[in-house]
Amino acid sequence: MADSENELREKVRELREEFDKLLPDARDLAVLQSLRDRFLGRKSGEVTALMKGLGQVAAEAKRDLGQALNTLKNDMTARLDEARALIETEAQQQVLTRDRVDVTLPGRRPPRGRRHPLTVTREELEDVFIAMGYEVYEGPEVDDDFHCFEALNMPPDHPARDMQDTFYLKGSKDLLLRTHTSTAQIRYMLENAHPPHVRIICPGKVFRRDSDITHSPMFQQIEGLVVGPGITLGHLKGTIEAFVHVLFGAERAVRFRPSYFPYTEPSVEVDLGCAVCFGKGVLPSGEPCRVCKQTGFVEILGSGMMNPAVFEAVNARLGKTVYDPEVVTGFAFGLGIERVAMMRHGIDDIRLFYGDDLRFLEQFRG
Amino acid sequence: MKLPVSWLREYVAVEVEPRKLGEDLTMAGLALEGLESDGKDAVLDLDVTTNRVDAMNVYGLAREVSVIYGLPLKPLDLSFTEKGAPASGAFDVTIEAADLCPRFCGRVLDVRMGPSPAWLRDRLEQMGVRPISNVVDLTNYVMLEMGQPSHAFDLAKVPQGRLSVRWAREGERLATLDGVERALHPRVGVVAGATGPLALAGIMGGASSEVSDDTRTVALEAAYWEPLAIRRAARSLGMHTEASHRFERGADPEGTVVATARIAHLLEKIGAGTTRPGLIDRVAAPKPRRTVSLRPSRVRAVLGIDVPADKTKTILTGLGFGVKAEDAGTLRLEAPTWRSDIAREDDVVEEIGRHYGLDEIPSSLPPAAAVGGLRPTQAEERTIREILVGAGCTEVVNYAFEAPTGGDGVVLANPLAEDQSVLRSSLVPGLLRAYDENARHGRKDLAIFEIGRVFKAGTSRPREERHLGILLAGSERKRHWSGKPRDFDFYDLKGILELLLERLGRGPLEVARAENVPSFLHPGQSAQILRDGKKVGLLGALRLTSRPGGASGGVMTLDLDFGGEPPPRDRFRALPRFPAVERDLSIVVDAGTAAEDVARRIREAGGSALVAVTVMDRYDRPPVPAGKVSLLLSLRYEDRERTLTGEEVQGSLDEVVRKLRAAGFDIRGE
Repeated sequence: MADSENELREKVRELREEFDKLLPDARDLAVLQSLRDRFLGRKSGEVTALMKGLGQVAAEAKRDLGQALNTLKNDMTARLDEARALIETEAQQQVLTRDRVDVTLPGRRPPRGRRHPLTVTREELEDVFIAMGYEVYEGPEVDDDFHCFEALNMPPDHPARDMQDTFYLKGSKDLLLRTHTSTAQIRYMLENAHPPHVRIICPGKVFRRDSDITHSPMFQQIEGLVVGPGITLGHLKGTIEAFVHVLFGAERAVRFRPSYFPYTEPSVEVDLGCAVCFGKGVLPSGEPCRVCKQTGFVEILGSGMMNPAVFEAVNARLGKTVYDPEVVTGFAFGLGIERVAMMRHGIDDIRLFYGDDLRFLEQFRG
Repeated sequence: MKLPVSWLREYVAVEVEPRKLGEDLTMAGLALEGLESDGKDAVLDLDVTTNRVDAMNVYGLAREVSVIYGLPLKPLDLSFTEKGAPASGAFDVTIEAADLCPRFCGRVLDVRMGPSPAWLRDRLEQMGVRPISNVVDLTNYVMLEMGQPSHAFDLAKVPQGRLSVRWAREGERLATLDGVERALHPRVGVVAGATGPLALAGIMGGASSEVSDDTRTVALEAAYWEPLAIRRAARSLGMHTEASHRFERGADPEGTVVATARIAHLLEKIGAGTTRPGLIDRVAAPKPRRTVSLRPSRVRAVLGIDVPADKTKTILTGLGFGVKAEDAGTLRLEAPTWRSDIAREDDVVEEIGRHYGLDEIPSSLPPAAAVGGLRPTQAEERTIREILVGAGCTEVVNYAFEAPTGGDGVVLANPLAEDQSVLRSSLVPGLLRAYDENARHGRKDLAIFEIGRVFKAGTSRPREERHLGILLAGSERKRHWSGKPRDFDFYDLKGILELLLERLGRGPLEVARAENVPSFLHPGQSAQILRDGKKVGLLGALRLTSRPGGASGGVMTLDLDFGGEPPPRDRFRALPRFPAVERDLSIVVDAGTAAEDVARRIREAGGSALVAVTVMDRYDRPPVPAGKVSLLLSLRYEDRERTLTGEEVQGSLDEVVRKLRAAGFDIRGE
């Protein structure tokens, strides 16, 4: 029996050598599988066959030989698995390499739209006031003489009407395109004739017969109106400072100076420190600043305390005293949205806003 | 208003340097607009608001400066020696229209015509006024100095030396100093002689009585004119002069006396003549000084601060108010005659505010009174913008006026130009102009929208509707290296509309072929949008011939009235607990058949479990016969109470097929 034992041992050694010789050449999965079949196949594998022949070996040698065969089988299995893993990894690697993209090429974008720069500015302004408890109110663009002038303390032939060259509708002495959003003050107070607490802004389009680099026959304003007991010029100042700081930054100087509007008394013009010369009136080069005409300030809005005459006109139309000037005071302000947008973005021609030119509109994030 | 600092210093000894002076005036409501300096003198250019006619002269500004710095204001020198025969013997005036001329002052001057001295000419030139002759220059000088316009008539050319002040008569004419022959009418005031008008009241003198080198005697006029009378007359004549500008804003009734005396003083001073004894002063309608009460509590209520009583008094006295204390700190004030703008208590509060200093008022926010916010329609408008921007559209804003189209539009009486003479009734023309504008510089791919009002003729006033307009043109997206983009078509535009309505919860809107589409639209690629059977919009492709600028692809436009309140918020529905069943149906129909027509028949026949019918495919090439189209429809069945059986679904499907066949449709398969 020693012979067959030796023979077996010899066979194990030969198989191991043969396997060692063949494995390095197995470079794809099919060859690898044929090796597996040849040595470890369940039916006809050479190692399997030897294991089957173990029954004829003497008992004391059986354990020893069995161990050697098991070791051989485990080695082969492990090395086949390892080779397979290697080949699979390489194959995957090839696919990944093949499917590589040029990450520097431009991406495929969904189409992009933008809001108009005036919309962006207007909504931002609205949001500042909404945060301060204002309601947003809109009035008609075609209005009448009463709401646009008469109730605002500008009776017919008032010189202040010259400041606002008005478009009238054909066939009517009364109907016009509103020249300012102050019309909304009157409309709101008439529509809300209850205990007078008013806090509104009115954004909207207004119209004046004027067209050049700083004037557009149509432009947009935001009117603000606050009415109630105890409202003072101090509140007007605080409110305007608050929104100017949100819009332009707290470092910009704000100046309040007396002015004139028929519907406010006192009237207050608000100026903002010039962004071009930083309020100095002179450029770093020593040249005079033309943007602010060397004053260091640019006009940003008109405002003032409500003229009692306006309350009286509203009361007269209501036929009862709802807004008693002895009980309530108020302030109003109006600013041009274009002006704010022009200052914030450095735009120098108001007509660009209404020119539909995408080369202009697409300069803004929208 | 120009203000030479040297002139100012004749009345108030202000020493601050000119720019600081300008800034201080600005903070008192007289805004510095410019400053010129030639080394010797500085000239401030001030923006005097239209209500402050009293500050449209050097002396009025000196008064402001005196209050700002607490300096005394020197009075004007009105002294002169009267010489010769009484003025009344040579010159007389009658006011026939008190509603035109409440007061008329006159003087008679014996003059030696010639040029003015250099200092006077220089002053006028500083102010931008051309020197003419000593007499004319003096009237101009005094107007610039203290605000009262005056006029010099050559007395020799005034018939009998008699003037009357009256309204012009129909048919009267007058050649004015500017060389224009003017037709007058009864709403124009005149200063007339026996033979007819010699001057336009408060506006301009006449050529026939103009002073010349030969003039020896001058009838000097300084009148107070009714502001409204002058304003209406000037406007009706299309005139605007230094004089009318001042008179229509309300001059000083007492300025008449002062101006004549000041001219007499200066005439003597420059040695150009003498003044005859006697002031001719006709008062037809006395203008008493206005009185106003001022309560400290009102100052506090408006300005939000207490202004010390002595400070208030100093400011008001300095401005020329007569100040009398009443009880409880209330002041009884007499407004200065030159302040026609002071009519009520708050006008005085403003005076205190601007001279006490707006900077002295501490800022604060008004106490919260209510919760603010956007109204539902305003919030919805923002959402619409978001949706459209997200869908790739860029917002434009166009003028509300456009060229007339021949319809019954809302027309402007005084447009800037003929092509801006009608208020828009649709947003489409503006969008097409935007297309043209961009195409002009080579940009033909665009997706734009506008939200704005359009105007429809109404019974008493025009109706304003909130509209949305969209224009799509050219390529559906930007050119990309990976492939050629496709052109926009009708369904891109309709898809945006569907997305919008779905996002807004606004429906159902019906899109239907329209019988009469406007001629600029392709009749086969346009539709009307209906809400409850009423037309609210129009969408479609532009007709080839009307396509602006040779568009490469199609141009699609939409105009939609989205007025009305937004829908209520969404309600939750329990999730379906039973599976849905989907079945497909392939139908061949005439190419002209509307898919919606087929889908509607299916919905009607399908029973309550059929919850959705969707067009999945549309095919019109072989093997589908010419003139026909094959539609693949997906039918979705669902019952919220139980699982549907195969028989139920099949039963519904059979019924659908039966009905479709009965209607003549060709069913190719289920």
